[in-house]
Amino acid sequence: MAADFVPAARSGLPHQLMLPAQGPETAPVPEQVNHGLEGVIGSGALLLQSGDWLLTVTDLRALERQLAAHQLELVGVEGVQPLTLVAAAAIGLTTRLHLNAAAEPTPKPLASSDLVIQRGTLRSGDHLQVEGTALVLGDVNPGARVSAGGDVLVWGRLRGVAHAGCHGDSGARIVALQLRPLQLRIAEVIARGPEDSPPPGFCEQARLVDGLIRIDPAEPSWPPFSS
Amino acid sequence: MGWPEFGAIISGMSGIPVTSAQNRTILICSGKGGVGKTTLTANLGIALAKQGARTAVLDADFGLRNLDLLLGLENRIVYTAQEVLAGSCRLEQALVKHKQEPNLSLLPAGNPRMLEWLTPDDMKKIVGLLAEQFDYVLIDCPAGIEDGFKNAAAACREALVVTTPEVSAVRDADRVIGLLQTREIKPIQLVLNRVRPRMMANQEMLSVSDVTDILALPLLGLVLEDDQVIVSTNRGEPLTLNGTRSPAGQAYTNVARRLRGEEVPLTDPTKEGKSLRAKLGRLMHTKIF
Ligand SMILES: Nc1ncnc2c1ncn2[C@@H]1O[C@H](COP(=O)(O)OP(=O)(O)OP(=O)(O)O)[C@@H](O)[C@H]1O
Ligand SMILES: [Mg+2]
Repeated sequence: MAADFVPAARSGLPHQLMLPAQGPETAPVPEQVNHGLEGVIGSGALLLQSGDWLLTVTDLRALERQLAAHQLELVGVEGVQPLTLVAAAAIGLTTRLHLNAAAEPTPKPLASSDLVIQRGTLRSGDHLQVEGTALVLGDVNPGARVSAGGDVLVWGRLRGVAHAGCHGDSGARIVALQLRPLQLRIAEVIARGPEDSPPPGFCEQARLVDGLIRIDPAEPSWPPFSS
Repeated sequence: MGWPEFGAIISGMSGIPVTSAQNRTILICSGKGGVGKTTLTANLGIALAKQGARTAVLDADFGLRNLDLLLGLENRIVYTAQEVLAGSCRLEQALVKHKQEPNLSLLPAGNPRMLEWLTPDDMKKIVGLLAEQFDYVLIDCPAGIEDGFKNAAAACREALVVTTPEVSAVRDADRVIGLLQTREIKPIQLVLNRVRPRMMANQEMLSVSDVTDILALPLLGLVLEDDQVIVSTNRGEPLTLNGTRSPAGQAYTNVARRLRGEEVPLTDPTKEGKSLRAKLGRLMHTKIF
């Protein structure tokens, strides 16, 4: 197991380094990072996805030196360990706590048969129901619905109603090139869609954070680091 | 997927017969009621006939028929589609030819009870008969997506979807388009009716692009809100009949021309006012000097 280096999707965004989940046999962080950065020639800002690792100020300083050897600058830390984030904040890094990641059951990787691809726009009155993940290649128009046991992915504009995790999977998410739904549902949580117009050119995702549906720019990596 | 009974007629065409004027069967539908299907059918029928195409209009709205009224043909109806189907008269006997535009004929709807027994095959039969004699068969579809719509849709190869720039009309149009697409009807083209440029410019109404964004269909025409439509409806003389200069009348004529494959540019209604004012300005300018 090695840390996973994810280059920035576009300039202006940091690269990301993902530490694997801790297990009985996982190697110490410096070793993993060494492996993960092998052959990496990126340079610039880097965001550490620390997962459930407990890292001290000393660990983070050591990491900074390791990264510097690759012209990478640690600018932020995200993860579920509050103590790691406190340490990171203490040395001036930006931090973000992932509240749910620890509690969520890690979603099982989906078998390909679980992915249902809908080619073409769903129009008013259409209702696509899928056991696994739904991928719509087209728009979901106002008045149309998509329900999926897993994720709802829309390669187009989502303007109807989407329900991800309709059998209760609270880790399911809804991703669309343009996310302006009438209503969103994830597991049992329901939210009205946002009224302001979306940031142009950003793929957005909705997921459950602290029992509320939250919309962010979609993560540059897929699947997201929690899996 | 085919239309076996039309096989002989359409076999000579390849793909979508957009430029060919041969035997086109076109459903005029909307989902929502009262958005202007019958008005479009009547005006388009007259306009196509004037442009030289042999055209039949069929009232498929058996429950609330009024295509005959709009065309001013109500008092000349003897037989209807019902008798044709029953075999108690020939198609020629039921067809009502328009006085001023003999290229246009109406096949009237039977009585509302027809709704109870009419099948998609009956509808295909009637439309098939019409398609043997006419270049264009326009079918005025009832509102809704129930049997009346399904019967009419079964008999057509193409469709015009009429909507107004209102959320509910667009929503229903979208539903209908989805149903038409699963029936492999194409092309499906859009006519946006009752457009009010000032309201659009002030964003009090959905804009043209709001509508086409959602419906994602080629826009065949924009018809402005126009009092003359109501006047002409009451007279039983469609606007396209007398070559009026009314905005809606011209729009319907242009829809007919585009339907026949002519390239007629669409103008942005919210800019129309400005260009008109600019034109007036220029006129005044020339007068002064
Ligand atoms: N562009 C327009 N400007 C003004 N009035 C219009 C316009 N188009 C239609 N109307 C009016 O709207 C009303 C409804 O039109 P029409 O009967 O053509 O709709 P429809 O879709 O056939 O209705 P139904 O669903 O009941 O069959 C009529 O009174 C008509 O005069
Ligand atoms: Mg009507």
